[in-house]
Amino acid sequence: MSLLNQIHSLAGLAEFVPSCLHLAQSVGEPVVAAEDLSAWTSTWTLAMVIPIVLGTVGYWLVQHGIVKSRASIGAGVALLGFALCMTFGFTPGTFESVILMLFCAMATGGGIGFLVAREPVYAALGFATAVLSVCGVLFMQSALFVAAATMIVYAGATIIIFLFVLMFAQQTELRNYDIQLNKPVVAATFGALLLATITICVTSADAMLPVRLDTTRTMSAANLPEELSSEAGKQAAKNLDAIDANLRFVPNSTAGLGRSMYTDYLIAVELAGTVLLVATIGAIALAQRTTETQS
Amino acid sequence: MNEIITQNLLVFGGVLFVIGMVGFLTRRSLILMFLSLEMMLSGVSVNLIAFSRHHQNYQGQILAIMVLTIAACEAAIALALVVSLYRRKATLDIAAWGELSETLVPKVVEAPQTLEEPELEFPKLTPAGLDPLSRPISANFDSHSSENGDIVKANTLEAGTHA
Repeated sequence: MSLLNQIHSLAGLAEFVPSCLHLAQSVGEPVVAAEDLSAWTSTWTLAMVIPIVLGTVGYWLVQHGIVKSRASIGAGVALLGFALCMTFGFTPGTFESVILMLFCAMATGGGIGFLVAREPVYAALGFATAVLSVCGVLFMQSALFVAAATMIVYAGATIIIFLFVLMFAQQTELRNYDIQLNKPVVAATFGALLLATITICVTSADAMLPVRLDTTRTMSAANLPEELSSEAGKQAAKNLDAIDANLRFVPNSTAGLGRSMYTDYLIAVELAGTVLLVATIGAIALAQRTTETQS
Repeated sequence: MNEIITQNLLVFGGVLFVIGMVGFLTRRSLILMFLSLEMMLSGVSVNLIAFSRHHQNYQGQILAIMVLTIAACEAAIALALVVSLYRRKATLDIAAWGELSETLVPKVVEAPQTLEEPELEFPKLTPAGLDPLSRPISANFDSHSSENGDIVKANTLEAGTHA
């Protein structure tokens, strides 16, 4: 924790630069206080946009062969930068948030490795890393059932995809379509623009909506039955603005998730089951080997 | 400070989404394009879960479960498509199916490429000592030292007994 405190004091130093810019822009107006969220978010926006630009330039260089493709090095550098920037965004260095950010960093590293790797097997490995780390993120966000289901589904899917890669794409030398990509500069530019836009919009000071409880649903936290409802939920439903951060209803109960799913969203569940059935039939029909006699 | 965590997770979901998008736009192998789609969907799931935690209800989690269902359906159909397309042309290249596009689009014939591996350079040691090929070591090279001679004799004796 002492290391985290040091990092946060460093973040306080980094806060100095945007506040100076703000001072230069508006002489006479009071500079925002250090405790204010907007100062944090401006620092953080800056700290996130710079790695986006650097990562895009690095991707160009790797794709054009100027930098030899070392997927592990690129993923490691990106992971480090992303982890640092994520740590900058934190004021409380709680244990839970640190673990959450580690999972985020692992997922980002796996994704970068997936993007940069030439061999399909390595790309599939990076994908598996990313998805399993995403499961960890969901777990830390108290979505226990979703994390377990994602892990099961993607573990099965990843094994099948490894089989496919080994069957189809495993040659002694790389194929043409693995080496030459389809307009990497244009795609990376648009991706970086999109990501920068998302970052700036999300991390701006008044971007976060206040907590809003949906009272139209049966199993909403605002009107849960007595044995399930928390005081926090009711209180939050009464006065939406004055929500104490400590009095929060945490949706981490699988039973509550099931109740909500089979009361509020029953038709959606039925439709999802139908879609699964149709997809199964379609997959069987598509993968069937058509012989000469049938056609 | 839960808002900051939510903001972090929204940016993280955006990162996953953009990684998947860039992968989908640039990759030309069918399987890897499919994997990129899955990564975009996982970014969306992260967003939904973050908002579920933020708004203190289960709706985001249920939407994430729906996304998961659709991802499973998509995986089944996409892999079946990959199998049947691979049976036709024995390649995973997406450009092999460019004949489905408009006729005005010119066909690009590309030369086969290989990935250049960087050549490894090993350090070279400076030569030291005697060159045994140009100047063969004489049999009585160290016969002046009696101990070494005894050891050599003992070794030869041992070799003889073993043989």
